[in-house]
Amino acid sequence: MKASLNWIRTYADLPQDITAEQLAHDLTMQTVEVEEITNPADLVEGVVIGRVVTIRRHPQADRLVVCDVDIGQKKTSQIVCGGSNLYENQIVVVAPPGAKVRWHGEGERVELSAAKVRGVVSHGMICAASELDLEGLFPPSESEEPEIVDLTELFPDAIPGQPVADVLGLDDLIIDINNKSLTNRPDLWGHYGLARELCAIYGGTLHPLPATEIPSGLKDYSVEIVDEDRCFRYDAVVFEGIELREAPFSMRKLIWSVGMRPINVIVDITNYVMLATGQPTHAFDESHVSNGIRVRTAHEGEQLELLDGHKLTLSPTDLLICDGADKAIGLAGIMGGAQDSILPETKDIVLEVANFEAISLRRTASRHHLRTEASIRFEKAINTQRCDLAVGLTCQLMAELQPNARIVAAGTHRVRETEAIEIPVSLHFLNVRSGHTITANDAISALEPLGFVVTYDGDDTLNVIVPSWRATGDVDIKDDILEEVCRMIGYENFEYKPPVITLDKPIRQLAHESERAIREFLAFRAGLQEIYTYPWVSDTFINITGGDTDSLVALAAPPSPDRRYLRGSLIPNLLESAVLNSRYYETFGLFELTQVFTKGAVSPSIDKEKLPVQERRLAIALAGVIPFLLFRRLKGILARLPRFGRVEEWRFEQSGDKMTWADHNVWLKIVNDKGDELGLMGLLSPKATEDSGLRVPCVAIAEINVEKLVPLQSRDNLYERLPQFPLVEQDLSIVLDEDVSWAQIYEAVENLVHDAEFVEEYRGEQVPKGKKSLMFRFRLASDTGTLTAEEIDKLRNRLIKKLQYTLGAEMR
Amino acid sequence: MRDQLSEIRVTGLDAFATAGTAESLESLRQHYLGKKGVLTEILKGLGKLSHDERRQLGQLANEIKKSFIQAIDERKEELLENASFLEIRPDLTIPGLGIAGGGLHPITQMCYDLNDAFRSLNFEIFSEDEITSELYAFDYLNFPPDHPARDTMDTYWLAGTEDKRGAERLCLRPHLTGASVRYLQKHGAPARFVYPGTVFRNESTDARHERAFYQYEALIVDRDFSFSSGLLLVRTILEKVFGHDVPVRMRAGFFPFVEPGFEIDMQCSVCDGEGCQVCQNVGWIEVMPGGAPHPNVLRAAGLDPDIWSGFYINIGLDRLVMMRYEIDDVRLFRSADLRFLEQFK
Repeated sequence: MKASLNWIRTYADLPQDITAEQLAHDLTMQTVEVEEITNPADLVEGVVIGRVVTIRRHPQADRLVVCDVDIGQKKTSQIVCGGSNLYENQIVVVAPPGAKVRWHGEGERVELSAAKVRGVVSHGMICAASELDLEGLFPPSESEEPEIVDLTELFPDAIPGQPVADVLGLDDLIIDINNKSLTNRPDLWGHYGLARELCAIYGGTLHPLPATEIPSGLKDYSVEIVDEDRCFRYDAVVFEGIELREAPFSMRKLIWSVGMRPINVIVDITNYVMLATGQPTHAFDESHVSNGIRVRTAHEGEQLELLDGHKLTLSPTDLLICDGADKAIGLAGIMGGAQDSILPETKDIVLEVANFEAISLRRTASRHHLRTEASIRFEKAINTQRCDLAVGLTCQLMAELQPNARIVAAGTHRVRETEAIEIPVSLHFLNVRSGHTITANDAISALEPLGFVVTYDGDDTLNVIVPSWRATGDVDIKDDILEEVCRMIGYENFEYKPPVITLDKPIRQLAHESERAIREFLAFRAGLQEIYTYPWVSDTFINITGGDTDSLVALAAPPSPDRRYLRGSLIPNLLESAVLNSRYYETFGLFELTQVFTKGAVSPSIDKEKLPVQERRLAIALAGVIPFLLFRRLKGILARLPRFGRVEEWRFEQSGDKMTWADHNVWLKIVNDKGDELGLMGLLSPKATEDSGLRVPCVAIAEINVEKLVPLQSRDNLYERLPQFPLVEQDLSIVLDEDVSWAQIYEAVENLVHDAEFVEEYRGEQVPKGKKSLMFRFRLASDTGTLTAEEIDKLRNRLIKKLQYTLGAEMR
Repeated sequence: MRDQLSEIRVTGLDAFATAGTAESLESLRQHYLGKKGVLTEILKGLGKLSHDERRQLGQLANEIKKSFIQAIDERKEELLENASFLEIRPDLTIPGLGIAGGGLHPITQMCYDLNDAFRSLNFEIFSEDEITSELYAFDYLNFPPDHPARDTMDTYWLAGTEDKRGAERLCLRPHLTGASVRYLQKHGAPARFVYPGTVFRNESTDARHERAFYQYEALIVDRDFSFSSGLLLVRTILEKVFGHDVPVRMRAGFFPFVEPGFEIDMQCSVCDGEGCQVCQNVGWIEVMPGGAPHPNVLRAAGLDPDIWSGFYINIGLDRLVMMRYEIDDVRLFRSADLRFLEQFK
């Protein structure tokens, strides 16, 4: 919302020397967020008044003329101009060389210099409104020819050379306030409210608004509020004898400077009153309103065309302004009807000043996608008493600007008035909660300039009466009073006070600790990169990974139609991320640890709330070149994860169903010692690899249910005494049937050696078909002495015999 | 023979002193002192000489042998001291070999730094599920029934629940604050806890706007907890994030769940408060809203607002990490793009 400091000053005595920076800072710190402060005079910097002395034809161009213009210098300036409305002795706006204009009203502003225009030198430019961003103030006429700004009529006494900013009176500060920060302050949606706030900040004096009374003894105008839950007050005043013309320049200028468009004197008065008081008003053409006003809900399917041309189909959730014959003439609090508002031929008007219920009005506005200056204000909940201010100011402006118009009738229907709120606040409360020393005087001098009425009996309690303009939901409890006092004192004046904290018990959060240990293991030991993805997943990747959408939770309004499901597994998004990175890298590793969602009914807090099943998962993807090595690398990471992640150990087995996405030869499940499935791992199948568009040869994937992991109390380390006598290390190569596994070999030799580890597998020329060669390394130990060559041979032979006997192994 | 010995002494010592490698020194040793070495052969021939000569020449030969052994040892030591594994002096400007890559997401890094700071102040860490209900996301937090944030335009409601109300209307959480009510309902007061996590808003994205972003919220609830004490939390956080004192300002702000509420701005680190594109020429950047829990929120959490009060702060980590590292596009955080993520160690 924009506000003019000049306008505010008409209601308030404020220090004359406030700078834009100071104002922005103080308002931002104490009240609302100021986004920007601008000065309209900057639009016409360096631009001066000129008087056209002579006009001659341009020798080279039919549409241009050459003028001599008096701009207050000794000599006149020669200026080439294309304005169709030029005449001698005309008072015009001249941008001399050095001034900046928007060329033909388009693009960025450019600095002018003396230049030839079609062969004739032009010292600057006679400006059209669009070239100085003044179209709102000097709207283009119906003519299609280019026109320049003509000030002759408005400012006949303007002196050539005078700055245009001075003549038009543009020097002002326009404060642009962030609308969101004004949400809770309906009182600040008008200049008068801002004037009050600034008086409180700067200690200025606030003048009362004119309280023009409606003359008594008028004809009674019928006003009926049918829906008393949605309209609390409706005042109608009928004026006769309107002369529809432009509003005076000073009024148009104010309306324009805060971003609205001047239209005609009546519309401008209604807008001016709204901008001044924050109370929207509207004027209907009286000849279209028969037998008074009725405020009622719309019938299902009822039609209404609005001023902006929108044709609405209404429902009973919408509130209408109708005439006595029940014809709809306006959408309450949002916009007037096209047929019955101010028309070019309007002579008499019905002025509406009303109060509507905020919530239902907002629903109507958002349902019809209509956000108007009026609806924005009504949505914030306005006090009913503000109608009086608006009626008073309107009558005064009408008397001033439409001296021939007369009030002929008036009517009002008042359902209820905004009630004053009384809040007792103890000084103890203010002091303890703020942590700042606040005396009764401090509180009173913070509150009273804002309109609060405070009585204090010298005891601990202040009795605060909230002014009606703050009593529509903004201030209603003592905490609100605390805020008012604190912000007026200024938060930057508060000191830091360390809180007193009792350290009663140490905090142990094992699940959090192991989750962090897992992430750190994967990042720093395993060399994987943690990623974050969105919770929604693409249908394509759900399909590729064989996801079942029946169990998935979907969004009502998803970010895109093909991403309506929320992840039930981390794999689809992880794979999509791997595809993306495969454009730039051949080998890499990614992981993500976050929640997945499936349909269900879980109550984490209270029974009536039933949420989907939400569990934390960990997923890992490795991309690389050699399929089985990649799989083994993943298995190696997963095998070490429990130790480093400080969770109970797990094991691998091939059980249950293969994952849809996995290579049918290369997949495993991860299970705990009870056999419960904790997770799964596998190589992405050639089909899924191709379907996903991966640009690397292969990808290995694992997913683990983190919630099923049991965190350990501390690190899982156990000291083992160092061997007293040296260990003997030997390699052994054996040839076996293809279907004999390493696990079987390990089981066979486990009890015969100190330890054994797999080294490599070999298939090829020296190995018969259907067989494989396997090499492993074992170590032998003795508790009684260094092993002799004979003892070593004996042990090795035992090992070989057992492998031959149990697994049919042959030595290579 | 005496002359012969003298000559051997001279040539031997000379050869040892100039031997270039340990190997050539060893073959010289063999040549002079080996079983069939020159000196050994001479000693063998001593038997043929007279007693006197044998004694004299034997003594001389032994002296020579001793001096040879000493010379060899000295040369051996000398060679070792000057030895190198590389025959050619390598190009030492070639970089060292790489280590395993990998890393935590920059937001996780920031989150863990903050966790450490808050754990040191005895705060607990609490995690809420990402899907919640309107009851916890709005009703309990004192949002008016018609607050715009409840719209489908703003919040991601779950299909099939969007037209229901309260506990039955489910959404991806639009902020973290609902978690505070869950925690307090379960654990009561006094309480000190943080609850970081991702939140979701339905909006169109650009370099400054995201649909999913990471927030970090902290709450203290205690008897008569003051606003001034809450400021300490603000300082703790910013100092932890930036590693030094950051100029901040606190101003009035309005949020339904706090009363009083405020906004914390920090000085823009890109322009040092001079005004730039990042801070939209203001010189300050909004980093944390906060304030005292609204009495209605405390009531929803089962606490008596006349006894308990507290202090919230909420930080958008995406924005803060962007500020910290001068990142110009918020969408990079969820792009999973390694070219971006690998830059953060």
